[in-house]
Amino acid sequence: MIELIDVVKHFGDVRAVDGIRLTVPRGEFFCVLGPNAAGKTTTIKMLVGLIRPTSGSARIAGFDVQSEPLEARRRLAYVPDFPFLYEKLTPWEFLRFTGQLFLMEDEAIGRAASDLVPRFQLEEWLHKPIEALSHGTRQRVAIASALLHDPEVFVIDEPMVGLDPHHARVVKDTLRERAQRGMTVFLSTHQTSVADEMADRVGIIHRGRLVAVGTPADLHRSAGTDGALECAFLAITEDAFSEGSRSAQ
Amino acid sequence: MKPSRTPLSLLLWVNSLSTWRRFLALRHQSRLLVGVIGIFLTGYLLLSYFMFHLGLRFIGRFPGLGSLLVERLIYLLFAFLFLLLLLSNLVIAYTNLFRNRETAFLLTLPVPIETVFIWKLIESTLLASWAFLFLIAPLLAAYGYVNHVEWHFYPATLALVGVFLVIPGVVGAAAAIVLARHLDRKAFQIAVVTVLLSFIALIAWRFQPEPIANEQLEARVQAVIDRLLVNTSFAQSPALPSYWLSAGVQNWAEGALHAAGFFALVLASYSLFLTRMATLFLGNPFGEAASNVQSRNSLFAEWAWFRRLESRRSALAAELRSTFRADGRPQPVDRGKYHPAWHPSDPLDRLLRRLRLAPDARAVVAKDIRLFWRDTTQWGQTVLLFGLLTVYVINLRHFTRQLDSQFWVSLVSFLNLGACALNVATITTRFVFPQFSLEGRRVWVVGLAPLGLARTVWIKFWLASIAALLLTLSLTALSGHLLHLEWPRILFFAAATTIMTFTLNAIAVGLGVLYPNFRETNPSKIVSGFGGTFCLVLSLLYILASVVTLALGSPWGWREVDPQPGRAAFAWTVFILFSVLAGAIPFRLGLRRAAETEL
Repeated sequence: MIELIDVVKHFGDVRAVDGIRLTVPRGEFFCVLGPNAAGKTTTIKMLVGLIRPTSGSARIAGFDVQSEPLEARRRLAYVPDFPFLYEKLTPWEFLRFTGQLFLMEDEAIGRAASDLVPRFQLEEWLHKPIEALSHGTRQRVAIASALLHDPEVFVIDEPMVGLDPHHARVVKDTLRERAQRGMTVFLSTHQTSVADEMADRVGIIHRGRLVAVGTPADLHRSAGTDGALECAFLAITEDAFSEGSRSAQ
Repeated sequence: MKPSRTPLSLLLWVNSLSTWRRFLALRHQSRLLVGVIGIFLTGYLLLSYFMFHLGLRFIGRFPGLGSLLVERLIYLLFAFLFLLLLLSNLVIAYTNLFRNRETAFLLTLPVPIETVFIWKLIESTLLASWAFLFLIAPLLAAYGYVNHVEWHFYPATLALVGVFLVIPGVVGAAAAIVLARHLDRKAFQIAVVTVLLSFIALIAWRFQPEPIANEQLEARVQAVIDRLLVNTSFAQSPALPSYWLSAGVQNWAEGALHAAGFFALVLASYSLFLTRMATLFLGNPFGEAASNVQSRNSLFAEWAWFRRLESRRSALAAELRSTFRADGRPQPVDRGKYHPAWHPSDPLDRLLRRLRLAPDARAVVAKDIRLFWRDTTQWGQTVLLFGLLTVYVINLRHFTRQLDSQFWVSLVSFLNLGACALNVATITTRFVFPQFSLEGRRVWVVGLAPLGLARTVWIKFWLASIAALLLTLSLTALSGHLLHLEWPRILFFAAATTIMTFTLNAIAVGLGVLYPNFRETNPSKIVSGFGGTFCLVLSLLYILASVVTLALGSPWGWREVDPQPGRAAFAWTVFILFSVLAGAIPFRLGLRRAAETEL
């Protein structure tokens, strides 16, 4: 599970994340939405340990990301919007490398890969250099390697960028299936339709604050909207914007 | 059972494999080009070995003082290389630790932060040191040959150098962590440039020539040499790691193995001590610094002058915001109404408008100048290169009394031409060559605009050439003035410099388009690829051929009595032919490739 406990992050005078408190239980599919520069990526970076919060703390599966980083990261997988891959390795070598860093034995890596490789249709590319792969194929390699060690918590930033509809479906189904088996998914996206379709709960971050959290139905109720989640999102962020402007004045 | 490979060994393995495959990829490059680069590198090693050999023998024969002078030169060379290694390790370690995608990737994996730091330390030290090895290998080989050393001198020296390189590597990385924890990127770059300028000023102050009367030289040689060598005594400070290396190498060459072993042990103990301290104590500070760098914390924010500057900027931003309504939506804009906050006054725009450039050319020029100005690394390195050359040229005035023979005046003026062209080649390879690649994924912005890629390439060529010309012509005029050259001779060198500057820029722009790397965002990595190496090799070969041709056909001759105008005309014809071939071919091919580039 994921716990964000009163997390604050300052960038100089700017309060990028402003006291976020959130618990995402085991097996929940949680989507986070927000306008540009709302603080989503900063929140994710604190969650995965890339930056330290100014105050507050983040926990992964009960382990504090700052004080017990190795224990937290063993249970975590993180796929950023532009994932890093070694250009000169093949996807198979990259999968093996990440598996070994997670202390997996070769047989275990082989077993996990035999499920993920056909699922993400990587057979054709498995032994070709990564530098020759398209953006979408790279994204599939990154997601497959992140899922290899069967993480308890999966954090992903804009997973659908570069994926065709078929592979976007595969990613959604795989994450949904893993969530049903107990993996906690924390997905950040600008696509409200993805959140609407996939999320058990949705959080909306605006100006560094978690301004709304709940099921899509809860969000509609609080915003007084119906139909697509986009309507609730626009209503909530517009309200928050007006409140922010009034308080600034 | 856990896998037997440690995270560090895995990282070493994947990165070694990647490097090996990069090397194997040379098979897919043109054999002719690979051959040219191979021959050049071998030629450099052989030629520099030959020159060092001649130089060491020449100095060594100086009556009574030869061995002393050689010893001082070795100490001095290693002391300067140590300082440069420190600076190089600092800059490379900063980029590698805090601006590197692999580092960010590894920091989210269950790899101990100490392991990530050690791997990045190894990588930075190797990146910062390979050129040092390439530079000193022929010197040490020549030194060994001149001193008739035993065979074991060479492996022992290699081991000593290897152990020595660890020290600037660790110190540079530690300094990068300290700076990153307290300075943001811009402040860091300003700090590095300040250090560079101080370094140049120190050299200019410390190595001022001392006037010595002829009678002193004839009567009191020992006293004069001692006075001159006082300036180099800092290189023999026993606290300097370069002293331990120099003393170890020289003692080994003389067969004093006990003394050499002592210095080897001093080097080894410091290297091991520093490495141990780094593994024990720098992991966590590295993690904090990595977080700080991403959080843009800055020491500057605590300074009043910086806060005043920021508040002025905030006021400008507030003015911009005032053009929005309270609900955050833009105020309705009247057609034709001028919003000063949206168009802040910009001296660069005003200047370019005065030059009456076409609007599309003005846009590309303004963008490239802004990017150059905002990347302190680029102008910092330019300042360092041309700063050192300026210090040298200004110091020429102290030698003019000695430059009373035609031979020395000619030699120094042609060497100045070569040095100036080498600086231009360094700048064009380092900054102009990667320009096209750096457009990267954004290449469509200019590629799809009505001006097209071919015109963009032309604009980049003219901008880079004119900027370089401002520097090279100024230095040529200054050098000619300080050498008391007559006007025809200054014009001669100015014309040669102009042609060489345009040619070197044509090589860099043309090859940059022919060998693009759109995936890489780091210019130093773009340059270290095949195309960048080829650009440097071609530029150096062109400079060598041009300077030698012009020098051989110098219209003023090399002695008082032998000027030969016919030979000069022939030399200029060959020089212009070289320039057209070396510059026009890659540039034309580059233009054709740019016109055919599929976006």
